[in-house]
Amino acid sequence: MAAITPKEHEESIPFFPDHVKTEAKVVVGMMVVVLAIATIGILSPVGLGDPADPMNTPMHVKPEWYFLALYQALKYIPKTAGVVIPLIAVIIVTLWPFIDRKPDKSRKVQRIRGIIAAVGVIVFIIGTIWGEVS
Amino acid sequence: MKILTRKPSHIIASIVIMSAILLLIFITAQARATSTTEFVAPSSDVAITEVTGIEASMAAMMTAVGQAPPAPQTDPCLHCHITGEEKGIWTPLSRWMVFGSAGLFFAFGMYRSASVWRTRSHWKPITVRTAEWVDERYQISEPLLKVLSKPVPTFALRWFYCLGGMTAFLFVIQAITGILLAFYYKPTPEAAFASIQFIENEVRFGAGIRAVHHWAANGMIIMCIAHMLRVFIMGAFKPPRELNWVTGVVLLLMTLVFGFTGYLLPWDQRAFWATTVGSEIAGAIPVIGDLALIFLRVGWDVTAETLSRFYALHVIVLPILLLVFMMMHFMMVRRQGIAKPL
Repeated sequence: MAAITPKEHEESIPFFPDHVKTEAKVVVGMMVVVLAIATIGILSPVGLGDPADPMNTPMHVKPEWYFLALYQALKYIPKTAGVVIPLIAVIIVTLWPFIDRKPDKSRKVQRIRGIIAAVGVIVFIIGTIWGEVS
Repeated sequence: MKILTRKPSHIIASIVIMSAILLLIFITAQARATSTTEFVAPSSDVAITEVTGIEASMAAMMTAVGQAPPAPQTDPCLHCHITGEEKGIWTPLSRWMVFGSAGLFFAFGMYRSASVWRTRSHWKPITVRTAEWVDERYQISEPLLKVLSKPVPTFALRWFYCLGGMTAFLFVIQAITGILLAFYYKPTPEAAFASIQFIENEVRFGAGIRAVHHWAANGMIIMCIAHMLRVFIMGAFKPPRELNWVTGVVLLLMTLVFGFTGYLLPWDQRAFWATTVGSEIAGAIPVIGDLALIFLRVGWDVTAETLSRFYALHVIVLPILLLVFMMMHFMMVRRQGIAKPL
């Protein structure tokens, strides 16, 4: 086994077998959920709509739930803006670590980021619900 | 004297084996004693004594019409008849199993003792021998031990540190169920809808596999976003881990594209029109909009080519890309360690 210095040893557990055991528990738990989904799926399948017909546009077209907020926004703002704003948002999110570089000094910074994340999530959830009910 | 001082478990095991053997002998002996079936000659012999040859058998058949058929030949085994043994398969089979395995066990014990005595060293089990044989050839034990013995900091044992791992696990689920679905799915407008109906109604566990693929896809996106929020709020993206954040965002985007391409594959009304609208949105991107639209739809409309393209993206291109980025993501986590919280 690799040499582990006493100080490191105090604050850590070995990956094998201790941590692997913990992970195995999580995996078993998720397998139970997956098997439950499979059982429910056999009893009531996901199902299909009507076969695709390019000649016949249905009344309500809805994308998957994770695009629903964007889709709902596009109903009210011009199309180009509705595409450019999410693109800019994605670029900002991607480049966030290059903007917010200073190491965290206190919990206050984390709280601010938490508020930013919460606002984003709440806006997303409201948009999704709005898109679902409209 | 040392050989007599065995472990108690050995003594118990030998008592159990011995009593099992004795019980088996007792039961078979009982069965033989109580069995009353004796060899009985077919009763039809008596009827045909005078006539011989073909006429005889014909006459026998004529007389047999309307009557009960002649008694079947009950004793096909001469040896069994002479020794008077049971003719069922289970008695000899169980005897062979019990005494045969006991014999093998005994022979193995003799070999093992002789080997230990001859080499003056401890006996190596077959598992150790196999591992050593493989390791001589691949020399994998040293790097493997290095990987396995890496300490995990205790702060990483909180529940919100497992969200990324759960995303990876859901990806494995998606890969397995996706391969199973691909066995039956046909990516053409004529056959796609019917093939999914076939999966749901005819294929064994097909509906369950499809349900898992459907719901685990949604779960994967939720887990991905949850992991991202955890990293964002706790500041785990701070230098030197910027690139890991970037690969993570790429992984999330690829997961969303997975969802978008997979949504078309059932080829029902919902799928068709969602893809039409979705690619229309892509077409509204300034400058490269038309190019993106034509790339997605293979032309100006959603057609059979679109379905083929989405299928290829969904089952070939995206999985390979995702695996590459996952590898980068995980390797960087391993190299840099898990970010220490405040």
